Amino acid sequence: MIRTLDDITRLAKEKGPKKLAVLAPEDGEFMEAVKKSQQMGYIEPVLIGNQEMMQRVADEVEFDISNVEKIFEADRQAIANLGTAMLFAGDVDMSSKGQIPTSFIYRSIIKEESKAGTGRTISVITLWEIPELDHFMAFTDTGANIYPDYKAKVAVLKNAIFLFHVLGYASPRISVLSGQREIGGTLASYEDGRSLQKAAASGELGECEIIEATSFFEFFVGKGRQLADYEEIDIKKLPEILLVPSLDTGNILCKLDFFLNVKRRSLVMTSKGPVLIPSRADFCDSIMGEIAMGVVVADRIKGVV
Amino acid sequence: MIGTFKEIIEAAEKKGTRKRVVVPWASRENMRILGKASELNFTVPLLIGKGREVEMLVKSTPLASLDHEIIDEKDSGRALFKAIQMIRENQADILMQGDMDHQMFIDSVLDGEKGLLSAKLASFVSVFQLFKRDKLILITDTYLNNYPSLVEKQLILENALKLARILGISSPKVASLAAIEQVNPAIPSTLDAAVLAKMAERRQFGDVTIEGPLDIDCAVSEKAAARKGVSSIVTGNVDIYLTPDIETGYSLAQLLVFIGKMQMAGILLGTSKPVILDLPFVSNENKLAEIALAALI
Repeated sequence: MIRTLDDITRLAKEKGPKKLAVLAPEDGEFMEAVKKSQQMGYIEPVLIGNQEMMQRVADEVEFDISNVEKIFEADRQAIANLGTAMLFAGDVDMSSKGQIPTSFIYRSIIKEESKAGTGRTISVITLWEIPELDHFMAFTDTGANIYPDYKAKVAVLKNAIFLFHVLGYASPRISVLSGQREIGGTLASYEDGRSLQKAAASGELGECEIIEATSFFEFFVGKGRQLADYEEIDIKKLPEILLVPSLDTGNILCKLDFFLNVKRRSLVMTSKGPVLIPSRADFCDSIMGEIAMGVVVADRIKGVV
Repeated sequence: MIGTFKEIIEAAEKKGTRKRVVVPWASRENMRILGKASELNFTVPLLIGKGREVEMLVKSTPLASLDHEIIDEKDSGRALFKAIQMIRENQADILMQGDMDHQMFIDSVLDGEKGLLSAKLASFVSVFQLFKRDKLILITDTYLNNYPSLVEKQLILENALKLARILGISSPKVASLAAIEQVNPAIPSTLDAAVLAKMAERRQFGDVTIEGPLDIDCAVSEKAAARKGVSSIVTGNVDIYLTPDIETGYSLAQLLVFIGKMQMAGILLGTSKPVILDLPFVSNENKLAEIALAALI
């Protein structure tokens, strides 16, 4: 079981290099991350994008791309289509978003999944490494579905469960997060949670467990009780997967790494391998970490599918 | 400007007026905290409940040797009614929720005719103390309203701005949060946030700067905002975070408490006199800050 980002870094060095299709690397921080990841032995990049812009940014970060595989394409959607098609054809192990709207990549993935007949929905899984927690905790969906309905939530959860299985968690514990509390009636997010709990119990979602608790308070203190003191908070009580009710909630919570002492890694699980979706505000270290995560997932996915 | 919970408590002490806190159905824990507030001389508790039982409870806390009043009432619903009545008739200054059903308490307090609602909408604010510097941030709404409309968000914000003024925050900076920092018609929170920002730009909230939509990375980090091309005095220095709905607000506040270990105190706003709710995720120590906060309002 992979529990920490140190594990990820170690394994990425061991299992790399993996072939990474880099979609429009046209920003300094991003290109720097690609350069360093290659130096670390994580990846063998295939750069896809505007020739002039890629070269300019590569020069900026002193990255000699003369011997790196390159595909020149200026049209944004064509870049996304190309890289994603390569992933699904098995020409690369993973792909990563550069300076290209995420929706373009989603569109390409949907097209490829549909061609492959997998029936998979796109969702983003954001992993957190939290100090003193001996496992990853993930938020999902943090990037694709604005207000997922029950059916979409099932698909979103399946993707996350798949990732955790790949990372070696035999039966991840899941909480369906909700604003349900002592007042305010019954929220739809809570009702969905109860239905998902039944679906999980019947085996519909694969090996996993959906817990009763739907809030951080319930993880750590429990209904009908009262938080007396912060000393009583045992971080180990956090489940592995938190299904969020909406994109607003997911995105706002998962990017609190800019505020708290946690580390964040996001990716989209496709049926053929990981697609990395770094945030436009992310810095080199964070993007590199995401690439390392992708390498490990791409390596292990081979044994699962 | 008040920057820490300690300063909230000190400010309440300094004010020198002992506020009358009426508590229907007080628990032992309520009494222990009220005892502390009384020791610091900023409150006097008025306890409504079964006379003998309340007396017994008081005896087991430091409140026993401090000023207090017990009002005999056998039924918890009637105790609450009486407490609200006392606030309405100016016989008490602060209402504190005792050990009773949350929904019943809220419904009675916010009752249009017999309750304490004074603004167009009541809302709940979580006050957090930052680690890295002496600064308080307000996050709203984290408990009361489920899915506020644009009009309701405006009222929630106005309530929070009043509290910001009391805390001495001049020219407050507001982040109207959404999933992304771009206006996307498919994501309603980004539209509401953009409208609020525009209203602020037209000075409809007075001396207030609202940036919105802002995603959380742009809100908390000036550097992240710069990477996304957002340039504003709000980024990295937010006083008030306006959340899109309860799903976000409730989880956000709790994540900061339980994973961030940040100190939180809350207060209900929009009522004629301050009301303190009994939230289960506010620690005992921070409940004292809640009473002090109420005493400042």
